Amino acid sequence: MRITRRKFLQSLGLLYGSVLYLPSCRRNDSEYRVFTSSEADTLIALCEQIIPADHDPGATDAGVIYFIDRLLHQRFPELLPVYQYGLKALDQSVRELYGFPFISLSSGLQMEVLKKMEMDELPATYWKERKSSSFFNQVIRNTMQGFYGSPRHGGNKNYASYRMLKLDFPLVVGQNRYNHGR
Amino acid sequence: MADKKTDVIIIGAGAGGGVVAKELATNGFSVVLFERGDWPDYDKHINDELISQRVQDLGSAFGPDWEKHPRVMIDEQGDRHQIHAGDGAYGHVAACVGSGTVSYGAMAWRFMKEDFLLKSTYGMVEDSTLDDWPITYDDLEPYYEKAEWEIGVAGDDYRNPFAPPRRKPHPMPPFEFNREGTYLADVCKRLGLHPFSIPMLRNSVPYNGRPACIRNRTCCGYACPVDAKNGTHNTVIPEAIRTGNCIVRTNCVVAEILVNDQGKATGVRYFDEKGKGRTQEADIIVVSASATETARLLLNSKSKLFPDGAGNNNDWVGRNLQGHAYTGASGLFDFDILDLSGPGACMAICDYNHHNEGIIGGGLLATEFYTLPYAFSQSRPPGEARWGINHKNYQRENYYRLGRLVGPIQEIPHFEARVTVDPVVKDHWGIPVVAFSGNRHPIDIKHCSFLAEKAEHILKEAGAIRTWQHGGGYGLSGGQHQAGTCRMGNDPKTSVTNKYGQVHDIDNLFIADGSLIVTNGGFNPALTIMALGYWVGDYIVKTYK
Repeated sequence: MRITRRKFLQSLGLLYGSVLYLPSCRRNDSEYRVFTSSEADTLIALCEQIIPADHDPGATDAGVIYFIDRLLHQRFPELLPVYQYGLKALDQSVRELYGFPFISLSSGLQMEVLKKMEMDELPATYWKERKSSSFFNQVIRNTMQGFYGSPRHGGNKNYASYRMLKLDFPLVVGQNRYNHGR
Repeated sequence: MADKKTDVIIIGAGAGGGVVAKELATNGFSVVLFERGDWPDYDKHINDELISQRVQDLGSAFGPDWEKHPRVMIDEQGDRHQIHAGDGAYGHVAACVGSGTVSYGAMAWRFMKEDFLLKSTYGMVEDSTLDDWPITYDDLEPYYEKAEWEIGVAGDDYRNPFAPPRRKPHPMPPFEFNREGTYLADVCKRLGLHPFSIPMLRNSVPYNGRPACIRNRTCCGYACPVDAKNGTHNTVIPEAIRTGNCIVRTNCVVAEILVNDQGKATGVRYFDEKGKGRTQEADIIVVSASATETARLLLNSKSKLFPDGAGNNNDWVGRNLQGHAYTGASGLFDFDILDLSGPGACMAICDYNHHNEGIIGGGLLATEFYTLPYAFSQSRPPGEARWGINHKNYQRENYYRLGRLVGPIQEIPHFEARVTVDPVVKDHWGIPVVAFSGNRHPIDIKHCSFLAEKAEHILKEAGAIRTWQHGGGYGLSGGQHQAGTCRMGNDPKTSVTNKYGQVHDIDNLFIADGSLIVTNGGFNPALTIMALGYWVGDYIVKTYK
């Protein structure tokens, strides 16, 4: 059988892929590029509080986590320590206050935690290096970028936010004035 | 390595340099036009808000490269901060062929007569370097006309009683108002103001072989998908190239102007697209690299007669940096005031540009360019939720309901608002970078509030249910309207060039960009920079041909 270049590359990919899944070579069990799955779970819950789902998609549905994961992997790797520190400090703060991890709290309690983060009212012992408010501002900014920005960066899945704002998408060259039921 | 000598070197292919290239190439001069960026490529940044020039959170679609072109900002405490093009303090302007004229909103204002005579009209302002221009509106009028016809402007002064006199009408009919423009124009008229259609460097009808505008919502901050927006990249620069006399060297970074011991500029030292150091000799050198980069290049060009940089023996290079604090107000309406018929900005008034009680100058007010959803998420009223369901509700309810009136306030030049070169930080090629220091003149804050109050009043009269003002702070000005750093003047002690942009004491070195501007008007300056390009180019042709 003649092995084409394409097939050869495919088989290499498979081999490489399987190596990646050998336990000793895995950084973690995560499907993300920079986050462990527990970091990702906390961040997903945090972003979902920033833009919650209702009859329109929220941050989770729009894939904000994939946007941030890619952002920290490709564009601003210098932000990764900020996230790692912030997510750890958040989890420790919440465990101290409520005895559970952030993701296990009810939505109402999660919102309370966000308000405390915003006001720098979480236990100071976990936020010695960075203020919780500055971490929160960073997450808000990136969540907005991921939710409202162009889908080519990994977020705003299927133009979720454009649909929500009744904006036609993707932009068609021409007279872009459709009604969308308005 | 040395290149074949040319008649003229032009550094920077933006609003000023592109025009000079065309003027000289069509008059038989051989021209080498240097541009540090590339030709703009629409497909590289199609409609991507996060890299558009109005956001630049993830990058700058039109350059410069963040890593290769750092700058330094010196804060009030004297601490130095290294910054990149995405930082607000960077004073960003596009780095590509056409520069800001590729991505601008394309307002095509002529400054008013008073804008050239600010000191005579209003008197001196303490702690400022306020002055009259060495040229008047009448001197520049024919060159405004040339810019309007050769590059292409749609407009009509008929409804603007404050427009300065003109010999020839605009070449294209004005744009129609969109829904917001129509609505707010009616309110302005009711208030005794004089609304009119903003003159635009954009085709209202097919012009110069390119199509009419399609009323795209992504205009300001973006390249035009159908090439209906007119800049130097699609008009004068191609015309210069067609003569066979102009070579454009893209991705080439000029490090230094070489000035000999007799005080003549002999050429430039530059790095080519592969990063290789070269020299190019010429009889005439024109610098048009923007108010920040032109000043940097002059300061980096040290010679025996000019040890502190070319033309800087009186320490005026890099001083008086101006831009525009965009000031005005926003209002939420209880109906959809926007119809997204682009680009957004279409209606303006010049009632507040001059002769306002207690104010020096003033500024125009205009409806604003549309924002896409991310920028909209940053334009909430004070106190509005920035996260959670309330944020989401706000976005959903108000995207079509936000009306805005904003404008560039006339800034008062301040000697300490300045560009220097940093002693430590170098760019990718090892060239010392721009360092910003100082702040705007404190009187600007009062002027900002004046215009913001007028804007808010109009929006309230229009029935906005919630209004708020926005304006500039004390921070250093600059940005896309950057100006003033190599002022033209009659007195070599208080200016960098004569009234033709010719650097004092270096006869064959010219400047042709916003750096020449003495006072930056209450208007977007692109058309004035183009007119200055024609003015300087015409002088060079008459003197050297």
